[in-house]
Order: sequence, then C-alpha cells, then structure tokens
Amino acid sequence: MVKKDLSITFLGVKFPNPFCLSSSPVGNDYDMCKKAYDVGWGGIVFKTIGPKSYVINEVSPRFDTLSKEGEPFVGFKNMEQIAEHSLEENLADLKRLKKEYPDKVLIASIMGNDEETWEDLARKVTEAGADMIEMNLSCPQMTSHAMGSDVGSNPELCKKYCQAVKRGSKLPMMAKMTPNITDMVEVAKACLEGGADGIAAINTIKSICNIDLQKKIGMPIVNGKSAISGYSGKAVKPVALRFIQQLRVGIPGVEISGIGGCETWEDAAEFILVGAKTIQVTTGIMQYGYRIVEDMCNGLMHYMEEQRVDSLEELVGKANKNIIPAEELDRDYIVYPQIDEDKCVGCGRCYISCYDGAHQAMEWDEDKRRPHCNHDKCVGCLLCGHVCPVGAISQGEIVFKKTAKPGRKIKDIRL
Amino acid sequence: MSEKYLKEYEVGYTPRLVMEEASRCLLCHDAPCSKACPAGTDPAKFIRSVRFKNVKGAAETVRINNILGAICARVCPTERYCQQGCSRSGIDKPIDIGRIQRYVTDSEDALKMNILEVKPRNGKKVAVIGSGPAGLSVAGYLAMEGYEVKVFEKEAKAGGYLRYGIPEYRLPSSVVDKEIKRIEKLGVVIECNHPVEDVKALKKEFDAVVVAVGHSKGKVLPMFAGKRFVKTAVDFLHEAKRRKGNIKVPEHVLVIGGGDVAMDTVTTLKLLGVKQVTDVVYETFSEFKASKKELEGAQKEGVSIIDGYVPVALKGKKVVFTHRFVPAKLEVKADLIILAVGQYTEAGLLGYEVNKLQEVEKTEPGVFACGDVSKGGEKTVVYAVRSGKEVAYAVKKYLGGK
Repeated sequence: MVKKDLSITFLGVKFPNPFCLSSSPVGNDYDMCKKAYDVGWGGIVFKTIGPKSYVINEVSPRFDTLSKEGEPFVGFKNMEQIAEHSLEENLADLKRLKKEYPDKVLIASIMGNDEETWEDLARKVTEAGADMIEMNLSCPQMTSHAMGSDVGSNPELCKKYCQAVKRGSKLPMMAKMTPNITDMVEVAKACLEGGADGIAAINTIKSICNIDLQKKIGMPIVNGKSAISGYSGKAVKPVALRFIQQLRVGIPGVEISGIGGCETWEDAAEFILVGAKTIQVTTGIMQYGYRIVEDMCNGLMHYMEEQRVDSLEELVGKANKNIIPAEELDRDYIVYPQIDEDKCVGCGRCYISCYDGAHQAMEWDEDKRRPHCNHDKCVGCLLCGHVCPVGAISQGEIVFKKTAKPGRKIKDIRL
Repeated sequence: MSEKYLKEYEVGYTPRLVMEEASRCLLCHDAPCSKACPAGTDPAKFIRSVRFKNVKGAAETVRINNILGAICARVCPTERYCQQGCSRSGIDKPIDIGRIQRYVTDSEDALKMNILEVKPRNGKKVAVIGSGPAGLSVAGYLAMEGYEVKVFEKEAKAGGYLRYGIPEYRLPSSVVDKEIKRIEKLGVVIECNHPVEDVKALKKEFDAVVVAVGHSKGKVLPMFAGKRFVKTAVDFLHEAKRRKGNIKVPEHVLVIGGGDVAMDTVTTLKLLGVKQVTDVVYETFSEFKASKKELEGAQKEGVSIIDGYVPVALKGKKVVFTHRFVPAKLEVKADLIILAVGQYTEAGLLGYEVNKLQEVEKTEPGVFACGDVSKGGEKTVVYAVRSGKEVAYAVKKYLGGK
C-alpha cells in the first residue's frame, strides 16, 4: 500500500495535499465544505464572497455540456455568478470551518466592485479566520461590468484592487486570472506589483456550447434567450496548461495555483510539472462528486514513488524548460511509423486518415486488409498512430532529412 | 489434443478496452456491486480507480480486500454476486466486473507491485490443514497479522481445488502459482505431501489449528459404486490438470450433473477432443445450477445437454433415466461415465463428524473450521476467501489479539 507525503507549501501556507475545491458551486456552504474536507481535499477556495450591495439573482437552468461520441461531459458551461448566501452567513461558515479543520487550508475568494469594497471584504474574511485570499478578477458572467473578467483584462484596475486588498489584509493573496485575454503575463505582473503573492489560473473561458437547432437559441435556454458564459472541464486543460507555462516563463519563480479541467491524478501531475503548486477543481466534482480526490491522491502517491521523489516540490515546474518556442525545435529528422501486424485488426483507419488528412503515404493491401507505409511519401507526422484504435502504430525508424546539419547521430535524438 | 485445454479461454482487456468498459460503469452511489461481493472486494471502488486512470490504486483495493483477487477475477460466478445488482443492467447489460478485475490484477503482476504488508511477528503459531482457497486465505490474513503460519497439504503441490479442480483453460496453473507465492512471501510456510491425521498432536505444537480440508471427494450414486468405467468429476478434473491434459479419453462420454463442476467436466472433455459428450442433468434449464457463462461455454463447444432426467438403473454400460415431470425414458450407453453429483469432505479421517466439525470451535477451543467444512456459505472460491478472513479474525480474538 503506497504512502507518500503529499503536503506542499504554497505562498507560505502548508497544504496537506495540493487538491483544492475551486471557488464555485462545489464550495457553497459549511456542509459541502465539511464533506469535501472529510473525503480528503487538502484545501477549499470558498465560493466567491461579494459586496453586500451586490444582489445575486441567478437564472434557471444555468448549465450546458459539450459531448463527443461516448463522452457526455467533455466540456461544461455554467452561468452561475458568486456566493448566493449573505455576507454574514458566509463569514460564519468560514469561521466554523477553520475552527473545525485547523489543519486544512481555507481560502476566501472575494470580489469587490470598487477599492473600498475590496479592502473591506479582505478585512472581513481575515477576521473570519481564512488562511489565504483569492481575488476573483475573472468571472466571465457577472451582471456588472465593474466586476469579473472585465476587470481582469485591465492591468491598471487589477493593480489598484490588489493594493486595496493588501491594505485590508496581510494574508497571503493570489489573483485569479481570466483566460479571455491575449497576454496573461501583463495582467499577472500588474497584480504582483499591486501586492499579490501568487497567481491562480485559469478561470472559465467565454463560450457558447451548443445552439438548439429547432429553436435557434443558445443553450441553456432562459425564457427564449441565452448568453455567453464560462466554459470549463477536461476540454480547457490544454488552455490552462499553456497559460501557466507562459506565466512561469514570463515571471520566473511565480507561485501558481492551477485550475482548468483536472479530473485525474495524471491531469494534476501535468499541472504540477508546468509549475502549479496546488490544483483547484470544480467540474470534475460536479460530474463525479468529491470522491474523485481519493484516486487523485493515491495515484499521485504512486507517481511520486515511480519518480522516486519524497516531496511534491521536487516535481514543480519540471517540464517548464522542456517547452520551448517552435522556432527552436529540432527540424532535422523524420520518425516513420512502425506497424505491429499482430495488433492490427485491419480496420483501415490509418489509411483513410493518411490519405485524407496527411500525405497519402499509408498504402492499403485490400486482400490482406493491412496497411503499409511508403517512406518516400511519409513525412513522419504520425497521424496514423493517433487514429489507430488498437495502438498498433508506434514511433519507428528515425531518418535525418537531406537538409540536416552534417554529422548528426540518431542516438542523440530523444523521442 | 491438449493445446486447447491448456490455453486460457478468455482473453484479457487491453488498456483501451478496459477504459471503455470502466466508462460504461455508472459509478453508482452506495454501489450494489460492492454490497454483493461475499469477500468485500469492493468493485465499485476499483472500477472507479480504473476510470480515473489509477490502476495501481485499483490493484491495492482488490488485493487488500481479496487475497486471491487474480483467481476470483477468473473463476467467480459474478452473475450471482457483484454483477447481479449492477445498475447498468437497467440500460443494457452489467459491467464485466470479473474481466476488469483480471485487468487490474494482471497489471499488479506486470508492475511487480507488493501490496500486502505484514505486522511484526507476535510469537503465536497457527497450523492450517489444507491449502485450498480457504486455507490460503486464512493463512495469508493471519500472517499479515503477525502470526507464524504453517500449512499442511496432503498433495504434492499447494492450491487444493484451485490446483487440481478448476480446469487449466479457466484458471491457468501459472496464476495459481503466483497467488500462492504472494502468500508465501507473507511468511506462510506450506508443507506439501504432508497429510494430517492427528489434530490433537498439532494442537500441542501450535496455539491454534484451522481445518480447511474442503469438500475434496466426489459423491458416487449407489448404482455406480465400484464400476470400473465410472469416475467422479473431481477425480477426472484432478487427473486432467495434474497431467496437463495428457490423458486418454474415449469417443463417447456420459456426464451426469448440472453444476459448475459438471460444466467444467464436459467442456474439458470437448477441449480434449472427445467427439460426443452427453450431459444428463437432474434440474431443468429453468432451475439450472451452473453459472450461465459456464453453461454457454459448454454449449458453444457442442456438448449435448439433456435436462430434467434422473438415473434409475444401470444395465451394463447403459444408464436408464426417467424424466422428473413427464412420462419419458432415456437410455444412454457410454464408454466412460463421469459423475458430477456433489462433493463431500474427508474430514472423517481427522476423527470428526462432519456436523460437529462445522462449529468445532464451540466444542474444542483453539480448533476452527474454515471454507467448505464450516457452517453456511456457498461452495465457491469467493466464499472461501470470506471464510478465511472471518476465521482469521476469530483466531486472532481467541489468541487475545486486538
């Protein structure tokens, strides 16, 4: 039975494990957070607490999903805003949670609508006992343009609000980024200049998931209409990893809480390898429940054992240096596909994809129902391997191009 | 003709196929499958681990809960247990839990995982008589608790019915070897070729004795007693397995019986190349005892199965049957007749009456019955595992462990 220490220190706070609820419907009140802690989550970012003057009034229904083939839930769209309970109730819940779970990490997510409310909320959640503050600068479906992602795409405003929060509290603070922007580094830098200690990325992506073809309305339908709102789940993981990588390169050493489509320990390990120290989850929990943390923790322990590391810190950012600009990649060689005849079931999917989507290199023996790669035409894109349903196509022979620099050796190539 | 017999009948999943099957699982709350496993293997948890890409965690769940996890994966009549309550049946068909479990335990083996842990030795010694599934289970669980365990086996190799009963195509000997090695690694010592006749003598040497001798003898109906051309299924399967399928079988064999042992017998005969295998069964198909999977396997191999008949007379090598409900008579002549009509224990050799043995711990403190010879429970491997766990707990309690 594997047993590894999953604890990690992020912004000076020790987390029993890196897995946290992100600020969302999954951490809406005391009972939910209690259950999440009991099941094994290391930290909770309580659902964003807003100013008293801002009245929440949600739509019904409020979710939609993107499906593909057998998968019902590739991506998820939601229209919820911030905490629906009163400020007093939320602060009371924070206080009670911290008292009952002193060893778990409690993070208060806050969202003001001017400097005064940001500062005031920061002070109040600090008094309630939170360990850390997350500034929600990024919700894409707020009904006020003075809040949410409209603020998060404006570096000056972000900096000003960070300064306000720091006036209200000395707690470690992270600013949560919107991905609905071209360059996240600029906003993140402004936040750090304003006093933020770290960055949380990413919030949801502005989206339209599906259109009802009969009614000609976006989904979900609210009395005949719909609106653009935040997209999350497995489908956004590549976008999240990309932004985190860019932050780590643009702001060396920045501490990050990763968010976006984490469902398994493998996803979590990827976030850690691109530089996240903690990982926040919502969509996976909405679909499968808090229990998914069990396999995240256990799977991550096994990964640590495999990697022979005793501390998660040793893995943080380990992939950063291996992700480089496209122009710096080695373009001197081709890897040809290798076909395992025993595994091949003769479906011909590689032949179709190579012809229609690549370079017509895969030839097809009609009698034997087996593919064969013509190296004269093959460019080594390996699309064939991606479409093969039985994993019969792998990376085979490496050949240097005529244009390659002289004297190169195949043994130096790392596939 | 033994290649077909020696090759494992069912192929294992590939990583992609196991994920497809695990994705069919509805990930139920308070899952019926986990509640239905007699050994508490917790399929809901290990299937969820597979779904969330944690095969190692899945292997831990299977192995900790079921010390014979790789064997149960292959031989358990899952349709009667975990798969019976599967919520997915409300949509199409239950999840193939046995096959997912096999993938998980095959991965455990391929990854050379060492899951089970042993507590420091506590100085107490326990003897186990019999190394079948119940004996292995109780020995393993006791060793993990820190007891010094010695198992006495009368045969040349350990495993009991796993070794000498369940046919090779359903349970390869290599799998049995690995499971036993796993248990030996916990510190259990198995002494083969060591029949026990005197429990009292053992009691002097050990702090507790567990009797797990199983139901290892096949029953013979009186009219067949002493006939040269009549064998019990237990003896036939034993010989086939011991000689790796290299046995002489005639062209026409009659089998009597309709349980899982009968299905193993008829399918083995077909795989060994017997032209005509006729199976006459007391039960009608509506009350059939064998698992559906084994019945279908036998039918696929071309066994003639005739249901609802009772043998009433033997004339030379000809058996006369009458139907239980309709006025019908059947006569079958065969070169070999194999009886799969139930099993009994040889515990009498230990000086116990069978009924007294079932709850021997009440009359003879320090002696415990485990597996088939204990009270209640079905005669399956998964029940033997459960019994092993329960008896290990009882022994520990008796010896003052916490």
